[in-house]
Amino acid sequence: MGKTIVEKIIARKVGVPEVKPGEYVKFGIDTVIQVGSDIGALNANEYKNLGWDKLFDPSKVMIAPEHCGSWSRPQDSITNRESHRQTVEWAKSLGVPDENILELGRVGTCHHIPIEMAWALPGGVYLHIDTHCPTVGGVGCLGINLSAAETSFLRLGWMWFRVPKSIKFEISGKLQNGVMGRDVFEYILGQIGPAGAVYQAMEYTGSVVENMSMDGRLTMCCLSIFTGAKTGIVAPDQKVIDWFKARTKVPFEPQYSDKDAEYAKVYKYDGSKIEPQVVVPPYRRTVVPVSQAVGTKITSAFIGSCASGRDEDLRVAAKILKGKKVAPGVMFNVTPGSSDTMLRSDKEGVIATLLEAGAFVCAPSCSMCPGFYTPLAKNEVCIGSSTTNVPGRMGDESAQVYLGSPATVAASALEGKIADPRKYM
Amino acid sequence: MALNFKGKAWVFGDNLDADLELIPFREREMGHMKDGNYGRWILTPVDPDFPKKVKKGDILVTGTNMGCGHGHQQANIGLMQVGISCVIAESFDRNFFKNSINLGLPIIELEGIKKFVRQGDELEVDLHKGEIKNLTTKKAMKFTPLPDFLLEIVEAGGLEAYTNKLIAEGKI
Ligand code: SF4
Repeated sequence: MGKTIVEKIIARKVGVPEVKPGEYVKFGIDTVIQVGSDIGALNANEYKNLGWDKLFDPSKVMIAPEHCGSWSRPQDSITNRESHRQTVEWAKSLGVPDENILELGRVGTCHHIPIEMAWALPGGVYLHIDTHCPTVGGVGCLGINLSAAETSFLRLGWMWFRVPKSIKFEISGKLQNGVMGRDVFEYILGQIGPAGAVYQAMEYTGSVVENMSMDGRLTMCCLSIFTGAKTGIVAPDQKVIDWFKARTKVPFEPQYSDKDAEYAKVYKYDGSKIEPQVVVPPYRRTVVPVSQAVGTKITSAFIGSCASGRDEDLRVAAKILKGKKVAPGVMFNVTPGSSDTMLRSDKEGVIATLLEAGAFVCAPSCSMCPGFYTPLAKNEVCIGSSTTNVPGRMGDESAQVYLGSPATVAASALEGKIADPRKYM
Repeated sequence: MALNFKGKAWVFGDNLDADLELIPFREREMGHMKDGNYGRWILTPVDPDFPKKVKKGDILVTGTNMGCGHGHQQANIGLMQVGISCVIAESFDRNFFKNSINLGLPIIELEGIKKFVRQGDELEVDLHKGEIKNLTTKKAMKFTPLPDFLLEIVEAGGLEAYTNKLIAEGKI
């Protein structure tokens, strides 16, 4: 029987010919480990409390301010700069080299960093303490999130895992103009529900995924956890391989599912029938076609977070807003996910177009997603391309948050109400 | 810690959420658990007197998707604080499962367990052998034991304790 991409990645990592779903494995950490130094400074703080005076391999530990940007809440006992500085001191005292310590201006949101820095490699495993670590599945890397109880991996240098079953999603045909990777994921969520893939790996395949940009695939994998999945993954193609070849000399071995691989389930969808999708508050699981939400007046719009804020997302927003203005009374926050995206978008003229349209372009960070920059005020109505819409997450608990693709968000910012982006493409 | 237990079974249903049924999230948000005593709140949304009734060594038996929702480990800690010796469920949420092993709470995933146990039955569990005896009904049930390297972590009292043990033994 053939094996899935996830099973092959794990087997390769463990150094055995094959692994089976349900099996327990442990393996060493040979890629770098990114330790958050701002609000995500869980590892460092936990570690300090444990009193351990060594890391498994200081050269593999990277320190990055990866959530907050320059933001700090007045009520916090410590500013993020302070938190970063303390983490840096801790890391240095344990032998982490200077070049592993990243500063604002060279980073971004935690799940953008491993792609920009080429740490998460096709065919490899990438571990991080944040929930959305499976984002890296978009480049054919297995992303698994660790919990605070697993801080010991920084001392041990290995971790144990259970091999998940895989579910295959085959999306055939061609997407309509204005329909993005985001819409494909939300459509799937609408079909299988929030417990549709519990503890399993979602493998996205088919012509729609093959023709999709790397950015679109990263978005789909980032969101996979909302079906209860352990992770999401897409087989890496030439454009992915070229991306990493241009950025790293570290060798990597992309993995691919066998034709006769065994799946727990196979779902087939016709991509040409997928409309832009909108998640309706207050639940993350309520997904409707945009036509059912069109016309809802908004006060804020947001493009950013680990689920978007990539080059393609900013480009599509600029295309929709070119030569036009954001609707009066609407604050449109656009936050590039990384300094690299910001730079590339600037060179392309995308940032200028957005600024001319009246968008508020923020510094690379998680920004509005957890209510850092421009938190929502009472009774605001927002549409965001961020990860989730839990009431209170993006600001006041009374604010309503809809979710949609960056194209839907940009079209909505333009009209001042939720809009179907297809007419602008 | 030995990996065999004897205790009374407490039987609960499916989909016990870490923040709703296991630990009342709102109470935690309101700062009522700042003392770190989660045991006082464990399972109270389902059975308000549970923390008072449960005895050290008792065994928790639940249905599918045990510990679902956010992977907040306060739920696992709370169960350990009231003395639950082992959790057996038809299936587990991924975070609850790994938190249990990493915190040293013995755990068994076993389809069919709910039919095998009734509330109050006396159970004897052997984690190494992979056997559960129901002393009340005089029946036994087998399960595939966790691999040795995970049992070692559980036996040590969790991943941190296990790491400390390796450090003390000079192994890392
Ligand atoms: S963007 Fe949002 S979901 Fe992603 S890591 Fe930041 S806070 Fe978490």
